[in-house]
Amino acid sequence: MYQIMIYRIFLAGLLAVLAFQVEAQQKQEPWKPGQLMATKVLADRILAGKAENMLIVSIGPDDPIEGSIDIGPGKDKESIAALKSLLGKTPKDKEVVIYCGCCPFDRCPNIRPAFKLMNDMGFKNAKLLDIPRNIKVDWIDKDYPVKEEEN
Amino acid sequence: MKRLFSILAFIFAAGNAGAQEPGLKIGDKAPEIRLLTAANDSFALSSLRGRLVLIDFWATWCAPCIKEQPELKHLYDGLKKHVGEGKFEILGVSLDKSRENWIKTIERLQIGWPQVSDLKFWRSPVAKAYHIEELPFNVIIDGHGKIIAMNLHGKELEAFVRRHLETD
Repeated sequence: MYQIMIYRIFLAGLLAVLAFQVEAQQKQEPWKPGQLMATKVLADRILAGKAENMLIVSIGPDDPIEGSIDIGPGKDKESIAALKSLLGKTPKDKEVVIYCGCCPFDRCPNIRPAFKLMNDMGFKNAKLLDIPRNIKVDWIDKDYPVKEEEN
Repeated sequence: MKRLFSILAFIFAAGNAGAQEPGLKIGDKAPEIRLLTAANDSFALSSLRGRLVLIDFWATWCAPCIKEQPELKHLYDGLKKHVGEGKFEILGVSLDKSRENWIKTIERLQIGWPQVSDLKFWRSPVAKAYHIEELPFNVIIDGHGKIIAMNLHGKELEAFVRRHLETD
């Protein structure tokens, strides 16, 4: 019984520390929690034909999501230049959703430079597709709408 | 509060080892992999029958995978004799999209073992066949093409491979 108590206290302490760290990390991100879009929300909008008024941009290695525009990995200067030129032709109030999907956010080198650019250019309706693991597990395996494959 | 629950869920999930591979398990026959090499030649996993094979799933966009390559190189170089005798091989399977990045990285890291890819990123049929949910990921198969280990890394990987080659 005593051991269980100790274990519970330990677990609670561990959780508090973890929660604090997660909180601290989120504060440094260029996006606000409200700017994360769940994959199901986007998938439902595409399937309902209600995605025309938004701009979906891949800033990762590939662009599997139906209707998305590929500008290349956000960690590369050329991609950021391409995104800048694309956004230059886009109204600032347009809903822009970017996604990568290579890996979990903490490991992804592409999302931050791209999101920062949207902030810097004054896009108020900028969103980041919330992909917890990768585009396979969180999109393709769920049979969400994908582009026809080339070749 | 929601965050706390997700952390809790994560802790429980993390304790559930083997959650990575719901489809394949040790003892299963490894699905065939038949893809093009960096030199555009067709290469089949089954052509390595008779050898202990480490199938390393990686990509140039996967930072932990890149970090692991020198370790694999060290392992490979240390087992040159076994490679030469046809007892051991590594097969690198990349989930890259960009052929240019893939080839440049192989050259930069001086990877000497066979490398194949369909250049389809996470849409690769191989990722589906092996139920890959995260990179890096690897599978070790025996001479009959049977899976004998999954997702071993670092010292654990080296010890497993060496033990297996020595008792063979």
